[in-house]
Amino acid sequence: MNQTGGTLLRVQNLEVSYGAVQVLWGVSLSVVRGQVAAIIGSNGAGKSTTLNAISGVLKATSGRIVFKNEDLASLPPRERVRRHISLVPEGRQLWPKMTVEENLMMGAFPPKMRKNVKANIARVYEMFPRLKERRSQLAGTLSGGEQQMCAIGRGLMPQPELLMLDEPTLGLAPKMVDEIFQFVRDISNQGVTILLVAQNVNYALQFSHYAYLMETGKITLEGPGESLLSNQYVQEAYLGSS
Amino acid sequence: MTLIDFTNLLVSALLLAGIYAVMSVGMTVIYGVMKIVNLAHAGFMMLGAYFALELFQRFRIDPIIAALLAFPVLFFLGAAVHWVLLRRLPRSDEPTLPSLLLMFGLWLVLQNLGYLIWGNTDRSIFTPRTLSVVSTVRLAVFIAAVGCLLLLEVILHYTWFGRSVRALIQNRYAALLTGVYEDRTAGIAFGLGIGFAGLAGGLLGSLYSFDPDFGRPFLIRAFVIIVLGGLESISGVAIGALVLALVETFSILFVPAGYQLAISFGLLALALIVLPGGLASLLAKVRRVA
Ligand SMILES: Nc1ncnc2c1ncn2[C@@H]1O[C@H](COP(=O)(O)OP(=O)(O)OP(=O)(O)O)[C@@H](O)[C@H]1O
Ligand SMILES: [Mg+2]
Repeated sequence: MNQTGGTLLRVQNLEVSYGAVQVLWGVSLSVVRGQVAAIIGSNGAGKSTTLNAISGVLKATSGRIVFKNEDLASLPPRERVRRHISLVPEGRQLWPKMTVEENLMMGAFPPKMRKNVKANIARVYEMFPRLKERRSQLAGTLSGGEQQMCAIGRGLMPQPELLMLDEPTLGLAPKMVDEIFQFVRDISNQGVTILLVAQNVNYALQFSHYAYLMETGKITLEGPGESLLSNQYVQEAYLGSS
Repeated sequence: MTLIDFTNLLVSALLLAGIYAVMSVGMTVIYGVMKIVNLAHAGFMMLGAYFALELFQRFRIDPIIAALLAFPVLFFLGAAVHWVLLRRLPRSDEPTLPSLLLMFGLWLVLQNLGYLIWGNTDRSIFTPRTLSVVSTVRLAVFIAAVGCLLLLEVILHYTWFGRSVRALIQNRYAALLTGVYEDRTAGIAFGLGIGFAGLAGGLLGSLYSFDPDFGRPFLIRAFVIIVLGGLESISGVAIGALVLALVETFSILFVPAGYQLAISFGLLALALIVLPGGLASLLAKVRRVA
């Protein structure tokens, strides 16, 4: 079912500022339908900013965000969720005093999606049985790994065509990291297009069909995952080998 | 003090707590969703009281019913104020100076409108019930208050609107990310908050006399309750209201009634110094120690 082909998302010359401080300087990237694309780069490069701009929580000052031949740049986040784009944000960003199930429900907030809520929650529980056990527990009391599952589950609720994951393994134990990456692989195998930001460069590059290196708000290098992995500059600067 | 006196005081504290909770819960919802300290709350309470008075005088509508009717009217007024004014405020995760100034200005406007329309004489709502021995007014006020609080709790937990309110309160970024329509939710939430102010004003109006400055001492009490209860939880408000009501009620055993407001202020100062996280943080601390 892993059909590929055709560009699902194309970002062109994206510029974003926080107040007077510009952090993205003409970022362009594209994600092919059915594939996994990755953005790597050091702290503060602008990776999260890019994902937040694609999801609409941050307004771009200029540039285009073309999803299935439609420019989304002027649409609010709720319109982008309606188009089945979802972001699993850095730091998970759950609602700590809502139950696991309420957190999941809220993932399908746009009115047209509400009628599928039950079926989609069932799908998430099937993928993460541990969430089902803890469905009535407050999200703030979950372990880090469980919170990440809950955040991914919430991101799956709008039945995403494009799922963006921002550092999904940040702060997790190594065993949990493997587990989460396995989940991401499963989701990808179900045909969901993925844009991944990961600080675990090695993992991310092995994992992705295509990858972008971002440095101080610009894309400085791009290519198939393996080719970046074997790139000398990437090895020296990001993989700690010389 | 006999056991009967004690019971009497306890009951009146409980009855008072109900209305205190109603008057504070609106501020809490508004603060939680919009991070705006509603300094105009007292103004809307005043409108609620006069609304109940007018309905009572003109149409002989029972003041408790009139107070309940003040809720929808003030709700729409609040939603309109949000649409016209508050929507334009810059967004922030903390109270901003422009929002404080705007709300303070709004309070002055409402207050002066009150003087313009109703003059500055004291008014009160007298019904046969007011003077009855077993204060049925207080009981009715309490039942109306608790009923409305329960209704709010149900809305917050079992409707999409309620969940979007809690989502905005607990993590605004995540709420936006999942598609919560902030302007609309905040508008309705502000309306609800103002509705509760109107209800509280109407209910208080059937207990105490009032003039267009009505609500000022209650605003301070609402601050105390919110600080005690923690800024963003509804059950916290109920507990804060109960604590303040108990302290105020039992303090008349030791200090003259005229000093009640000083007691509120003292409690506010104490709470800010000792319990910046509200009573919830105290409970958490106790639990950690135990
Ligand atoms: N809310 C904000 N206000 C002002 N500046 C911000 C804000 N968020 C991020 N920045 C700045 O924008 C730049 C890019 O930040 P961003 O979070 O996108 O980086 P990142 O690549 O995701 O980094 P990390 O790997 O640490 O998550 C940084 O210089 C950061 O300091
Ligand atoms: Mg980041």
